[in-house]
Amino acid sequence: MNDAAAKLLGAGLAMGLGAIGPGVGLGIMIGKALESIARQPEVSGDVRTNMFIGIGVTEAVALYAFVVALILIFVA
Amino acid sequence: MKGKRLLYLLLGLGAVAALAFIPGGAKEEFMVAAEFDLEPIITLPSIGPVDLSVNKAVIYLWLATIIIIIVAVIVARSLKLTPGRFQYAIEALYELARDGIVGSVMKSGKAAWFPYVGAVFFFVLVNNLIGLLPLPLGEHHQPSFYAATANLFVTVTLALFTFVFTHYAGIRKNGAVRYFKNWAPSSAPPVLKQVIFVIHAVSEVFRLISLSVRLFANMLAGHAILGVFFAMALIFQSYLAALILQGGSVLIYLFEIFVAVIQAFIFAILSAVYIGGALDQDH
Repeated sequence: MNDAAAKLLGAGLAMGLGAIGPGVGLGIMIGKALESIARQPEVSGDVRTNMFIGIGVTEAVALYAFVVALILIFVA
Repeated sequence: MKGKRLLYLLLGLGAVAALAFIPGGAKEEFMVAAEFDLEPIITLPSIGPVDLSVNKAVIYLWLATIIIIIVAVIVARSLKLTPGRFQYAIEALYELARDGIVGSVMKSGKAAWFPYVGAVFFFVLVNNLIGLLPLPLGEHHQPSFYAATANLFVTVTLALFTFVFTHYAGIRKNGAVRYFKNWAPSSAPPVLKQVIFVIHAVSEVFRLISLSVRLFANMLAGHAILGVFFAMALIFQSYLAALILQGGSVLIYLFEIFVAVIQAFIFAILSAVYIGGALDQDH
């Protein structure tokens, strides 16, 4: 395997494996938020705001993987 | 009536199938990464290490600033008691920034810090949205997608503002000694306190990194996917593939509008959370 192939393979693996955790996490979080909104519709505003904060923090993990993939392709 | 509709459907499907047999145009070289190269458009001399040349990102930043100023001046000059459509839309965004972002996550200092958080929200929002307009700033003045917020230096600058203002707000309200003391809980044993202090200091730096990388990577990923869809239409050399890919790119474009608004919201709300946390320390 030459260098270029290894870089592309590494980038693909980094993005794919890095998306698993945040995907599961986002699913659990949004599901729980919807559950609590369905139980208590009167607090939906607060729940939604906190859900977006959580989405931002969780999603960042997948984006680190994306940045690592870009670094592998273009910089490394 | 029904037979006519079926006829149109069959004709449409036949036209799509016919596209598969028409050979596409000549294959063109298209690199998605080249869309994000920052070639200077107006070359200016550099002062020391600072290069003053004007590139795509600078033009998008200027454009966003001009749009915000013009919209704000127009709305402020013509405020009416019964708002029209335009004023109503701007008022809804203003209320989202005031009540939805600052009002819902900050306890004290709402009036003092709303100007900063609101300004960041509108600046990032307009920058993200005009990033979806292709401007003729690419190679040979071809239209190309670019967003100023898809540039790490722009987002790091914005995140640095939040970082500096967070600690400024905390120190001004609590005093420097009490502010840094509160980084570790007062009930912890002394040795553990130092460890917690270091962990907290590291997490403050990581906030800066995650705040900037989140916005940058989101906008970059969205523009890269749009670029890949357009590029694949050129590479496959088939009108059928191009039709399907263009349909897909429309869907992704709509999703990117959603992402642009959400990311501006998240950037502003996290800034408000960080500043609010420094003002009302809980331990």
